[in-house]
Amino acid sequence: MTGEAQVPACRVEIDRHTCMGSGNCSYWAPGVFDLDGDGVATVVGDVNEHIDEVRSAAENCPTAAITIIEAENRTI
Amino acid sequence: MTALDRDDIGTRLFSPEVADDPHATYDQLRTTCPVSRGTVAEMPMVFVFRHEDVVSALRQPELFSSAGGTIGLGEQPLIPVEVDPPQHTAYRRLLNPQFVPREIERLEGDVREMVTSLIDGFAAAGSCDFHLDFATPLPSGIFLALMGLPKADLPMFLKWRDDSIRPPVAPEDFEGAQRIRAETGRAISEYFRHAIDERRHQPDDTLLSRLVHAEIDGRPLSETELLGMAHLLLLGGLDTVTATLDCMIVFLAEHPDYRQRLIDDPASIPGAVEELLRCSTPVMVLPRAMAAATELGGVKLEEGDRVTLVLGAANGDEEIFGPSSVDFDRNPNRHVAFGAANHLCLGAHLARLELRVALEELHRRIPDYRLAEGAEVHFSTGIRQATHLPLTFEPK
Repeated sequence: MTGEAQVPACRVEIDRHTCMGSGNCSYWAPGVFDLDGDGVATVVGDVNEHIDEVRSAAENCPTAAITIIEAENRTI
Repeated sequence: MTALDRDDIGTRLFSPEVADDPHATYDQLRTTCPVSRGTVAEMPMVFVFRHEDVVSALRQPELFSSAGGTIGLGEQPLIPVEVDPPQHTAYRRLLNPQFVPREIERLEGDVREMVTSLIDGFAAAGSCDFHLDFATPLPSGIFLALMGLPKADLPMFLKWRDDSIRPPVAPEDFEGAQRIRAETGRAISEYFRHAIDERRHQPDDTLLSRLVHAEIDGRPLSETELLGMAHLLLLGGLDTVTATLDCMIVFLAEHPDYRQRLIDDPASIPGAVEELLRCSTPVMVLPRAMAAATELGGVKLEEGDRVTLVLGAANGDEEIFGPSSVDFDRNPNRHVAFGAANHLCLGAHLARLELRVALEELHRRIPDYRLAEGAEVHFSTGIRQATHLPLTFEPK
């Protein structure tokens, strides 16, 4: 039997229509979120490396524009 | 404390004693009547005390509306706080870029310079009135610079701020208070009509000028909209950080062990700012009006009901924060001192910057401050601000 590793891989979706560009996500998860040229939130860093901060950002997003698509554990 | 008659909830909540020391009352109301009908100034009112219910209300702006003069201070709605989505979203998209963390970070040098110069003003004396000499001029100075308004007008702004938020009448004189607020609203509008007109002809790179020349949905802002924003920025810029600084310094002066932590470990200051915001909750309540019927915490609410969300009580909720203790290491800190959801405080990151730099420099320069002997500090109700806060410390 070979070794199996469970690698969680969450990803984030941002609703560009709902986002009001408050930048709060970049407060809760600096380095993961920033605002793009339109003033809308965008992912610029590694979501999975900072997943706790990303969860705080999603929970505290003023317009609930951040959705975390939970990991389906992938077997490598 | 005896059980409360429900008609007394509003009177008690907005009494001077509770503004001075709110926690026991918050705890009692939250545990005995978490969502409760009562009155304020004889007007029927629904009070909401638990964290879960407050957050739930804030997250449903389509039901818990901010429109229709819920605050009722100006000649026109305060923008964006008295506006609902989708219009609210458009206003916030216009204002947010000036207040996002990345923009606010750029102000740190200016804030530190102002903090340093204010401390320079009293360090050698060994005493100060912290409210008048520091907590008032710091956010005011930053606000005036951001907006591009003359420093010479500050005394007038401060009078307007106080006449709006805490009019000088007896607590039960609601008509007198409303009259002063209306007169003040007219004076503020008159001032900003001129200021807006000037910026229209002579644009600069300050916030007021940018708003005057901004577009929303492909059109310029109307004078009414500009006045609503200017009025709100004035109240937010001049009042809330002052109140927060007052609250924080009184707590720290009375709790030397917590203060020592900030002196020994300045890295703990950002966490302390959040926790002291939670414990002091300077903005005690937020108003809403029901746009439709619903149920909250097992209580039926009808369309048209007026609702008071008690942020201070929510911030002491044991179900979220555990037994009451002050913990600078609390993480995450789910306090609602800045509100929550779409109306989350526009100036929150600016407030955090001012508060952090203030605590850093105060504890570096005059770490041994204490309340002056015999000093009695009282806080105003609604937004908890001192009128005087005499401190003494070793002259530096």
